[in-house]
Amino acid sequence: MRLVVATVALIAGLALSPAVALAAPSPVTAWYVYGSSPSGLASYAYARGCDFAKSEPGSGLRLLLVDFGAARKLSSSTWGAIDFSNTTFSNSDILAALKRAADGYHNCHVRGSVDILYGNSNYHMSDSGMSNTDAWYAGYHQSDRSQDLFDYQTSKGYDSQTSDAASDMEPSWDGPLITKQLVNGDAGQGWALYYDFGSADGCPQSGSSDGPCNNGWHASDVGYVSFHGLAMSLPEIYYSALANQWTVVRKLWNGDGDYYFAGVTASTGVGLTPTGAWNALNSLNSGLVDSEIACFGC
Amino acid sequence: MLRLLSVKRAVAVLAGLSLAAGGGMAVAAAVGGGAPADKAAALARHVSVATTDSNTEQVAPPEWKPEPIPARMLSPGVPVPIAPSVLQVRNGWLVSDGRTLVAVYAGAVGDDPSSAGRLVIVRQDLVDGRQTVHTLDAGPTGALAITAAPLGSSVETSAQTGSILLRTDEGRTLRLDLAAGTVGSG
Repeated sequence: MRLVVATVALIAGLALSPAVALAAPSPVTAWYVYGSSPSGLASYAYARGCDFAKSEPGSGLRLLLVDFGAARKLSSSTWGAIDFSNTTFSNSDILAALKRAADGYHNCHVRGSVDILYGNSNYHMSDSGMSNTDAWYAGYHQSDRSQDLFDYQTSKGYDSQTSDAASDMEPSWDGPLITKQLVNGDAGQGWALYYDFGSADGCPQSGSSDGPCNNGWHASDVGYVSFHGLAMSLPEIYYSALANQWTVVRKLWNGDGDYYFAGVTASTGVGLTPTGAWNALNSLNSGLVDSEIACFGC
Repeated sequence: MLRLLSVKRAVAVLAGLSLAAGGGMAVAAAVGGGAPADKAAALARHVSVATTDSNTEQVAPPEWKPEPIPARMLSPGVPVPIAPSVLQVRNGWLVSDGRTLVAVYAGAVGDDPSSAGRLVIVRQDLVDGRQTVHTLDAGPTGALAITAAPLGSSVETSAQTGSILLRTDEGRTLRLDLAAGTVGSG
């Protein structure tokens, strides 16, 4: 039923839009979580879902990225995140909040559709005591909770919604082996797309060799965490140099499928405007950047 | 195999249509004749998302009450949302009265950490649903660190427009005026 509805809607959209061309889309807001309690987190998420729905541009599927902070193992059998206020939340807390985000989007829905992303990061996982296996399970459970959210959306009749996962994977924040386990765990669970909204810190800006990046990474490692398995590339493009680095990453890719970008992650207060960020990446990878700008600060 | 090809074909066809509606996915269909096999099923799920809900009932929102965060320093162990390409963080500071929130991160410019001091200020208006990220460059000061800032629960609102003292690499003191959004001599 969903497929039929979507097809009709899309055909209608095509009829109204004779000139089809990829261009920089309007940015949508991505959010950092500074929480203090599970109930506060749920209220926060509800409000962000509603805000997103009210301001969503266009009629397409857009990404609502909620960054819960760093992936963490909280106990022998509990995973979750530590947020930007130094508050830990279990995956149960996070799922409850994501369900409220879904409720908020539903209540305030005007147009279009949304993919609600459970976002985290690879920030200092090793320093917190996490092993490579722990990181694998962090990715696994992240995907699992995203699927739980989708089950909730489906059960509630929220047909304009879906859900996936995301991670701000920065070479400077932890090593390549443990970071890859987030992606592998997600793929092992097998359900959620895993949007990498991180960087290619220190990677080469030109050339075709697998050059070094920060913290023992190589460009091919960045390719792995951004496109292996269910990973999708939503790179931070804050300066022109970052677009150059990601272009090298794309050209080096030799895994499954042809590498492309799901859009860009942008911000205010940096060298490139959100639209400038998308244009910078697209100018170097013409036709290989989808119409999405997840923007922190917009 | 037939099933996989069918999924990929469906993704390609519907993704092309979705472009017209302003959605993503168009590139997935255009590259290499279809989405990578690992991602095909998940991408196919995306094109089945509708633009209306079959459930038209409103859901009761969660009870909202302000949850302040007393003003506190953020040690290097606390996750930082700012990318290292933007800021090499030394430390940070955070406060919220439950309605508005301010986080200040101090350090150095990401690609020039030896010479240029930088601050990044994240503000959230939790009532109106706005988040801003501002960058303030202090010039050739070396990395900045926060040395003195309002702390505790009694300043959850006032501190958001107060002052924070910073130290440069050379030991000079600077002052961040949060109300004006400027940094100058301390």
